[in-house]
Amino acid sequence: MEAMQISRSGMDVEWQRLQVIAQNIANMNTTRTAGGGVYQARRLVSGPVEGFAQILSRYPGQPAPPKRGVTVYDIAATNAATQRLFDPSHPHADDGGFVTVPAISQAEEMTLMIKTTRAYEANLVALSAAQQIYSSALQVGRQA
Amino acid sequence: MSSVSEILAIKAMDGLYLRAAAIAENIANSNSRSFHIQTVDFEDALRQATLRGPDALAEFKPSLQRAAEAITGGDVRLDLEMASASATSLRYSALSDILNRQMQLNRLAIRGGQ
Repeated sequence: MEAMQISRSGMDVEWQRLQVIAQNIANMNTTRTAGGGVYQARRLVSGPVEGFAQILSRYPGQPAPPKRGVTVYDIAATNAATQRLFDPSHPHADDGGFVTVPAISQAEEMTLMIKTTRAYEANLVALSAAQQIYSSALQVGRQA
Repeated sequence: MSSVSEILAIKAMDGLYLRAAAIAENIANSNSRSFHIQTVDFEDALRQATLRGPDALAEFKPSLQRAAEAITGGDVRLDLEMASASATSLRYSALSDILNRQMQLNRLAIRGGQ
């Protein structure tokens, strides 16, 4: 069941990554957020459930913890630069008439989206393979 | 098969059945507001009960828990629920298969191999 659990965690993380990308694309023109500033593109940071330090601190021969796979560490704002557009009629324009808009690259987000979709599909295929193996193991010793 | 492993298989099937019910409830409530995703985590508790002896095992009951919310929100994820549903049904059929084979052996012993 371990393989299925791992693929399931991969599907979970890739779906959440897709949500973050969708959020970035949807906020492409957001000039002011609830926090006050301009919207910053976000990235989902993921990694193994069991971190490197935990693996190192395990003494030899100790069995591995039952839960493995990937998990979401954080959703962090990128340090991408913002761009300033001259639009004096905009309600959020400053004294000089400039509006700060997020510099979200549509091509970058779309590329990440395709990558995320492929990773999701790969996890789905691995999950199906594990299910197939498991159900064929149920046939052991059965009379045809 | 001792009476302990037989009752262990039955208790595990109870837990899996409750998990299947929880998954069905999650999917049914996927559009309900303020619904909390339910899970059934019984494996560790079942292992502990087995270590304590047959009496503790006989009293074991799996229970529903509230799932931890994801960082992007606590929505019901249909893909994950379907993955859990298929894993649950596979394990359920594996356990019922084991019980079935055990009963076949018993039947064979009762008949004296005839």
